[in-house]
Amino acid sequence: MGDQQPTPVLLFEQVSKWYGPVIGLNQVTLELRGGITGLVGANGAGKSTLLRLATGQLKPSLGRVTVRGVDAWDWRAKALVGYCPDNDAFYEDMPGREFVRAMARLCGFERAEANRRTEAVLERTGMADRADRKLGGYSKGMRQRIKLAQALLNDPGLLVLDEPLSGIDPIGRQEMLELFRGLAAEGKCLLVSSHELEELEKLTDHVAILTRGRIAAVGTVTQIRDMLDDQPLSVRIDAADPRRIAAILVSRPEVVGVDLAAGSSTLVVRAANPRRFFEDFGRLVVTEVLDVTRLEPLDESAHAVLGYLLGGSGKT
Amino acid sequence: MSLPPATPQLLHYRALTSPRLGPWQGVKAIARSSLLLLSRRKLFWVLYAFSILIFLFYFFGQYLMVFLENRVSEAMVRTGGGLFNRTIRPEFVTKLLRDAMHMDGSADTFGDFMWTEGYIAMVILAFAGSIIIGNDFQHNSLPFYLSKPISRRHYLFGKALAVAVVVNFMTTIPAISLFVEYGFIDTWDYYIDSFRLLLGILAYGAALTVTLSLLLLVTATWLRRTVPLVMVWTAVFILSRTVHRWLVDQLMLSPRWRLVDIWNNMYLFGQWCFGTDHDLLRPRSQPQPAYWEATVVMVAVCVFCVLYLRRRVRAVEVVS
Repeated sequence: MGDQQPTPVLLFEQVSKWYGPVIGLNQVTLELRGGITGLVGANGAGKSTLLRLATGQLKPSLGRVTVRGVDAWDWRAKALVGYCPDNDAFYEDMPGREFVRAMARLCGFERAEANRRTEAVLERTGMADRADRKLGGYSKGMRQRIKLAQALLNDPGLLVLDEPLSGIDPIGRQEMLELFRGLAAEGKCLLVSSHELEELEKLTDHVAILTRGRIAAVGTVTQIRDMLDDQPLSVRIDAADPRRIAAILVSRPEVVGVDLAAGSSTLVVRAANPRRFFEDFGRLVVTEVLDVTRLEPLDESAHAVLGYLLGGSGKT
Repeated sequence: MSLPPATPQLLHYRALTSPRLGPWQGVKAIARSSLLLLSRRKLFWVLYAFSILIFLFYFFGQYLMVFLENRVSEAMVRTGGGLFNRTIRPEFVTKLLRDAMHMDGSADTFGDFMWTEGYIAMVILAFAGSIIIGNDFQHNSLPFYLSKPISRRHYLFGKALAVAVVVNFMTTIPAISLFVEYGFIDTWDYYIDSFRLLLGILAYGAALTVTLSLLLLVTATWLRRTVPLVMVWTAVFILSRTVHRWLVDQLMLSPRWRLVDIWNNMYLFGQWCFGTDHDLLRPRSQPQPAYWEATVVMVAVCVFCVLYLRRRVRAVEVVS
């Protein structure tokens, strides 16, 4: 009994979600037990769907999402989660304090408790002295803080933050990062989504990369890089002179095979170390003056992961 | 401005497992915040003041009628002085209040009062629909609600509760006040003799509440913005009235054509609850469909609204 692991804070078990004929999330399995986890992916990768499933706003089409063992769709699970959405559509003529208080009542707290918690979270997010202004007059950074404040009201074990740093100036960003680290240090589990891996790397080393509705990789950035180095990748290259390119590439140590169809302008290269291959190939194109019209990795997941690791936004 | 250091003891939270008041507390919170938003609009207060004027008109009208009937024995009463000097025949005023204005604590009193007040409530709701509900869909604010410990069902109940409060504060509660007032100024027996009227007020008020709440939820989630909402609301409540009058009174078609007017159906249901004889419905020159027919149409509209909302709320996740 003593060896039993505690229930995960958030658990996705083979979760799929369809929007009519469109698939938003495809057989995702994810387990979070604490700390800060970054969720990166390009637009349309399924980040928002995953976050909404985690916060019980959506019901999975297939599979199960649980928060501390309770179905995420259940209101008891929602009571354990704080959600800071990406959009900031507020009631513009409502003061920030009133908005947070209304959200506290929505959490089920009675008036006195709601007031106490409202003041506590406003203090914590640095909004206590500005909360009486109407939301319509808030800057982007203040809006983010108010959204974070309402997410903290129920002292959530799991805090889900959708693009929490977008639109915030560098100083404000640093303050928010400090706050997130503080919350994680208290034992809360944070799931933070972002377009940019670079942004998340300042906050956490543990990331999940999402592409086309699938989790392409989970782990620390170093682990993912190592994993990718060991993962062969097929790359399609269209060029005016594919035979010449094939001859050059065959001599490269990271290339393990080249397929070239007779009379075709396309060749498929299998690279053992994709990261090094792309770096080398870029140099070769310039030094050997190669006329390449198309370069496309054939493995979508690896493609996206690689895109992030090379510092892009999921597109190589 | 720097943030205070993250200290675990700052919030003094109770344990995560501590019982709260459950999702139904959230329903009250949604209704409260919706009403708060509504109360920030000047138009709401202007229309509400108008409804209070109507209430006061009935309140003092009833009082005046009973006072003139019981306390004034003279055939002529002189009021005012100088330019404002008037001679009034109490019998004429009493007749006017009883027969023309129906301020005699009868079914007509409460039926007319709730019909008039309901109309103002309906106008308020036409303008308030986008504030209370439409904006949540328009601006995609639903994640704030739905990420809290409530479900879509509770969200809709909360919004419906806000509408119900507006409707009842303008119809049922003032009507009950008039009922209580009439008993005070007439005789205590009035409460016993006219108990059915009290039940009628409650039933008519409930019908107004349920129907208007559902219709508003449906139109506001469908249209979201104020202008189209007011246009549809006008078509449902004003245009349909003109249409059925033209069809029945001008073209002499079946009175069943009046069933297209939801407002008229609610009025007929109310009169049924008050126990008014169908043959005595006013105006006599306008034949009306049977009470049960109006009730069936009203129930059908409500069922349609519920089915639509059920479908719409399921679609929220796709839309949002």
